[in-house]
Amino acid sequence: MDTEMITLEIDGQSVSVPAGTTIFEAAKTAGIDIPNLCYLKELGPYGACGVCVVEVENCPKMLRACSAKVAPGMVVHTKSEKALATRKLALELLMGDHDGDCQGPCKLNCPAHTDCQKYVKEIAEGRFADAVATVKETFPLPAAIGRVCPHPCEKACRRNLVEQPISIAQLKYFAADQVRKDGNEHPIKVAAPTGKKVGIIGGGPAGLTAAFKLAQWGHMVAVYDQMPEMGGMLRYGIPEYRLPKAILKAETDAIEALGVNFINNFKIGRDADFAKFRSWFDAVIVANGAWKSTAMRVKGEDLKGVWGGIDFLRAVVTGEKPDIGERVAIVGGGNTAMDACRTAVRVGAKEVFVVYRRTRKEMPAEDVEITEAEEEGVKFKFLYAPDEILGKDGKVCGMRLQVMELGEPDERGRRKPVPVPGKFEEIALDSVIAAIGQRNDPEGFADLPQTPKGTIAADEGNFSTTLPGVFACGDTVNKGAGIAIGAIAQANEAALAVNAYLRGGEYRPVKPILSERNLTEKDFEDRPRIARAVMPQRPAEERKHDFKEVNLGLSVEAAQAEAKRCLECGCHDFEDCKLIRYANLVQADTQRLRGDFHPGFTEQKLVTIERNQRKCVLCNLCVRVCAEQAKQGLLGLVGRGFKTVIKPEFQNPAATAVCKDCHLCADNCPTGALKIIG
Amino acid sequence: MKLVFGEGSCGIAAGARKVRAAVEKLNADGAVGVGITGCIGMCYLEPIVDVYDGGTLVKRLVKVDEAAAPALYEAAKTGDLAPLAKYEISADDREFLEKQTRIALRHCGLIDPEDIAAYEAVDGYKAIRKVLAMTPEDVIAEIKVSGLAGRGGAGFPTWFKWNAARNAKGEQKYLICNADEGDPGAFMDRAVIESDPHSLIEGMLIAAYAIGATKAFVYVRAEYPLAIVRLEKALAAAKKAGLLGENILGSGFSCDIRIKAGAGAFVCGEETALIESLEGNRGMPRLKPPFPAEKGYTQAPSNINNVETFANVAWIILNGGAAFAAMGTETSKGTKVFALTGKIKRGGLVEIPMGLTLRDVIFGIGGGIRDGGTFKAVQMGGPSGGCIPEHLLDTKIDYKALGATGAIMGSGGMVVMDSHTCMVNMARFFLDFTAKESCGKCVHCRIGTKRMHEILTRITEGKGKEGDVELLQELCNGIKAGALCGLGQTAPNPVLTTIRYFRDEYDAHIREARCPAHECAALKKYEIDPAKCKGCTMCAKKCPVGAITGTVKQPHVIDQSKCIKCGQCAATCKFGAIVVG
Ligand SMILES: Cc1cc2nc3c(=O)[nH]c(=O)nc-3n(C[C@H](O)[C@H](O)[C@H](O)COP(=O)(O)OP(=O)(O)OC[C@H]3O[C@@H](n4cnc5c(N)ncnc54)[C@H](O)[C@@H]3O)c2cc1C
Ligand SMILES: Cc1cc2nc3c(=O)[nH]c(=O)nc-3n(C[C@H](O)[C@H](O)[C@H](O)COP(=O)(O)O)c2cc1C
Ligand code: SF4
Ligand code: SF4
Ligand code: SF4
Ligand code: FES
Repeated sequence: MDTEMITLEIDGQSVSVPAGTTIFEAAKTAGIDIPNLCYLKELGPYGACGVCVVEVENCPKMLRACSAKVAPGMVVHTKSEKALATRKLALELLMGDHDGDCQGPCKLNCPAHTDCQKYVKEIAEGRFADAVATVKETFPLPAAIGRVCPHPCEKACRRNLVEQPISIAQLKYFAADQVRKDGNEHPIKVAAPTGKKVGIIGGGPAGLTAAFKLAQWGHMVAVYDQMPEMGGMLRYGIPEYRLPKAILKAETDAIEALGVNFINNFKIGRDADFAKFRSWFDAVIVANGAWKSTAMRVKGEDLKGVWGGIDFLRAVVTGEKPDIGERVAIVGGGNTAMDACRTAVRVGAKEVFVVYRRTRKEMPAEDVEITEAEEEGVKFKFLYAPDEILGKDGKVCGMRLQVMELGEPDERGRRKPVPVPGKFEEIALDSVIAAIGQRNDPEGFADLPQTPKGTIAADEGNFSTTLPGVFACGDTVNKGAGIAIGAIAQANEAALAVNAYLRGGEYRPVKPILSERNLTEKDFEDRPRIARAVMPQRPAEERKHDFKEVNLGLSVEAAQAEAKRCLECGCHDFEDCKLIRYANLVQADTQRLRGDFHPGFTEQKLVTIERNQRKCVLCNLCVRVCAEQAKQGLLGLVGRGFKTVIKPEFQNPAATAVCKDCHLCADNCPTGALKIIG
Repeated sequence: MKLVFGEGSCGIAAGARKVRAAVEKLNADGAVGVGITGCIGMCYLEPIVDVYDGGTLVKRLVKVDEAAAPALYEAAKTGDLAPLAKYEISADDREFLEKQTRIALRHCGLIDPEDIAAYEAVDGYKAIRKVLAMTPEDVIAEIKVSGLAGRGGAGFPTWFKWNAARNAKGEQKYLICNADEGDPGAFMDRAVIESDPHSLIEGMLIAAYAIGATKAFVYVRAEYPLAIVRLEKALAAAKKAGLLGENILGSGFSCDIRIKAGAGAFVCGEETALIESLEGNRGMPRLKPPFPAEKGYTQAPSNINNVETFANVAWIILNGGAAFAAMGTETSKGTKVFALTGKIKRGGLVEIPMGLTLRDVIFGIGGGIRDGGTFKAVQMGGPSGGCIPEHLLDTKIDYKALGATGAIMGSGGMVVMDSHTCMVNMARFFLDFTAKESCGKCVHCRIGTKRMHEILTRITEGKGKEGDVELLQELCNGIKAGALCGLGQTAPNPVLTTIRYFRDEYDAHIREARCPAHECAALKKYEIDPAKCKGCTMCAKKCPVGAITGTVKQPHVIDQSKCIKCGQCAATCKFGAIVVG
């Protein structure tokens, strides 16, 4: 028997389908995918989610596309204002009741959104090469960054609510070291050449990351740097005892091995002017960092024996053996100050002071750095500001310090230091190192627009500049010097923008919509407490005399045990989750309709399937496939209204016996509510 | 003489059985006739006893207590009814019945529901006899002429549903009576089953014959034990009389009716959820189409009607569809039964012809507001319906006219509210009901009603935010559009109508943390009027949090920071010194 064909219009397209077809299936034939959460073709429509609603002309009611049948001459709008509003409301209601983390707080708080949870798990499972590959999806320097990163991820780590965060950064460099030792790193795939040329100024973490990405996408990339080696501040700022040059070198070599052209000892503005440089390439990224020490602006600054912090550090690295004498004061409280004071100890100074105008609490340097400096004999002078550098014969002989006290909090909530009138102190010194900040050097880049601060002005989203084809990122742009992973984050965006630009498009990042849980210590009360791994270190008395690495690295056992502490906060199903995909599609506001959450619990196991009620959207697919496809009928709905949940007959041991462990339920779950474990 | 006791659920609850037992104890010699009947519908006057002389009602006695038993017995025995004068129904109260037109309730409170002969004596089972001689098509045509529409809430033309089921392809067809009556405060269907079960059975037989169904179910709310018992008795009696089962009255037509006790959820009254429940599944609505007429019980063609709908059928067959259609308006024919409750002087069951106004019912029949209060609004259709304010009291009882106000005809719930009712709180109450009764299947209803309830709760607690009303409206419209079944689609009605007519009350709660009706507990302020306070210390002793202080014989004061607004003090004070603001 011939089935009658029906012609209708969907989103302006004419569609012909056999009578009895649903609007959903008809739209599919026209290439229109109507969002749906509870529909499965084999099971037929169910009608729970209301996400598939469409508007049909001359029909007063909204129709569910999954079940409504086509009719001749029907005019269907799948994206009319009303259909979108109803669909969006369903998704906002679901998101407002969704107590799940799409991604772990670690990943969300890493400026570059490195997939920490994933590589931590890989390390836990002993898959170290996989872990390195995971990091390299984001940036090329796991061993280096793992050593130096102030790890904002760890500050956000949920394990803080149990006892202490996962040692995410140390695990990262553990894996990189291990893979380097084992020589089993996964090769990195490079796409077919595009024939496009990109020139990058600066071989610091920003420039290297952008080069690494662009090379993988098939572009011809050249990195130009004024210094003899690549690495930027990681090499010429951060001292050897924190990050051995050989380790950094191995990672930069790997970038070169991808086909990136490294050109060192080449300074833009000296060896070529910027305009000329631009003309050699289809696109340019300026990532020249912040290489000028900020002046203290006090009398005596031009005396011999006064150093800029980064200049002193670079001199040590390049083997200039700077003569700083026996008594040295470092002015400043940041990481540069810490590196400078500990380096001063190592180059032979007998007495090293850090002069800081606030107290220890306000110091921007990492706490461990301060502690380690103290262990190495550095003396801290808090609440002092340099007033004048005293000289004798054109050489530093001391410093007069203004005594300070803490006043009103500033806009960031840090109490402002104010001078105590008339109170001064003098100390005798051989040299003074000013580590109060660094900024970019605009020389040679006059064509590029600047911010009022003097940094290069770049778009905060895609890091383009006003010059076509010129992008800028890292310490040199906008807010200026920050941390390496921040520069890397920008470089990733800039690389995407360059890639789009080279292909004739424009890249605009969109902030993804995510579900995030709001948890407190209380939520983890019943978790067993497991101590965080302790990093073995060389004793202060030994390490302060040389530049060998202070930290000795985690053992394989310690690293794996540490990685196993991870709570695996992010959803295992994030990539495949239909709920979050549609929430992004309709730009659902996840907070607007927040209220109580429906009752939620985990830990119900049916053989190898774990159910997390908090992420369940009650699409009922698991119940239906279990009954109709697996022919088991082990699941059912319990309760009414908002308190409705799906319950397997888990209390009944017979249910576990009957469950065939076919995973049909988990495979069909549109969210991450069902997880296959073991 | 014969004493007939009104023994519907409400009469029994008021003590009718105890009074009857007391009379029967005295009546060991059987000098006086004693009988029962169902519910006459004047709940506020129960227990009611009717005195019959021969076949005629000579006196209706109301609020008869056990103490009255000797007098009752004596009077009935001697025929001297004068001593019973103080129990006699007042002229005012008689009006309550006199102003009604009873079709669906035609026998309620008049015949013995447990005696099939009593039903047959009032032309019972004549209609089915007449129908068995007609073609099913003619029966449907007669119902079409009557204009009867479904009384379960949706008001869909009954003939159309019957016709669809008749024309649907299928060997086995089913007829279902929806007696789930889940609307809180409604009891029309209960009254019909308890008081006149045979008229339901007869109506169902006629429908079964018309559509070609040989199996029928009555899905009765589980909380109606008396209705179930009476219906069981009636079914047994009908079966014995050859009116039910195989080859009814030798016509060749067979039909069996079975009772199924409901699952105790409001949504099970929704027809497709009811069918799921009948099939032994969790009561959750199915997608429509397919409609039950096509794929109903066990996927077979099924027709489902409400009790009241069926209760009209035999009357229509006997009196003709035209007689039914003669009553009412252009769009609504016949009569409708309402359960009039709330702050009304005379509450109970009211059956009136369509087309009367709300004012006719509330003031004419119901006698207006109780305790001298002022009318504020009437909620029609329970949790699925809406409220209608004072200025629309002249709206006609008509599907269309009521719909235009934002309310609905509904199944018959009519709750009258006076000035002490907070409309926001009332909306919150209904949303609490629907949110809890949502079956949980669809997103808009399951989560949407919960969020609406949360917002309404915060408003009644004085924690509402600017924009909450707009958010509620958005949710209302979205839920109406997105919910799968009638429960969700109508749940927003109480909120939409209270916003439409009483927006100022919402604003007062949100902007001034004030409840104009002084009903919302969290917004109440208890203060002592020093002029009235005698310093008796009673309130201070009662206050559970020790918020009241003062010395004996001196005016007391309430510490507002301690007060938890429990209202104990106001209830305790004998001098009316506690002012609630
Ligand atoms: C002492 C010190 C310690 C630090 N410690 C940490 C730490 O522990 N953890 C952390 O995360 N961050 C730390 N930082 C910050 C971090 O090093 C920087 O944020 C990061 O290196 C910035 O990367 P970038 O690629 O933007 O710039 P850079 O790393 O500065 O690289 C810029 C590159 O451009 C080159 N260049 C500049 N001008 C030109 C030119 N005209 N022509 C050619 N080449 C040019 C430079 O030689 C350099 O290689 C530290 C910084 C300093 C100064
Ligand atoms: C939530 C919900 C509850 C319902 N409850 C009842 C009920 O208790 N009794 C009833 O007769 N109809 C109820 N209905 C209406 C039925 O779905 C159906 O329309 C009705 O039983 C059909 O009979 P009628 O055509 O005679 O009105 C309800 C509908 C909904 C959406
Ligand atoms: S517990 Fe694991 S997933 Fe969670 S934040 Fe910490 S590292 Fe990330
Ligand atoms: S657990 Fe079951 S009902 Fe819940 S979202 Fe997954 S498949 Fe749907
Ligand atoms: S509207 Fe409510 S009651 Fe009806 S199917 Fe949806 S969740 Fe269930
Ligand atoms: S209601 Fe159609 S896919 Fe869920």
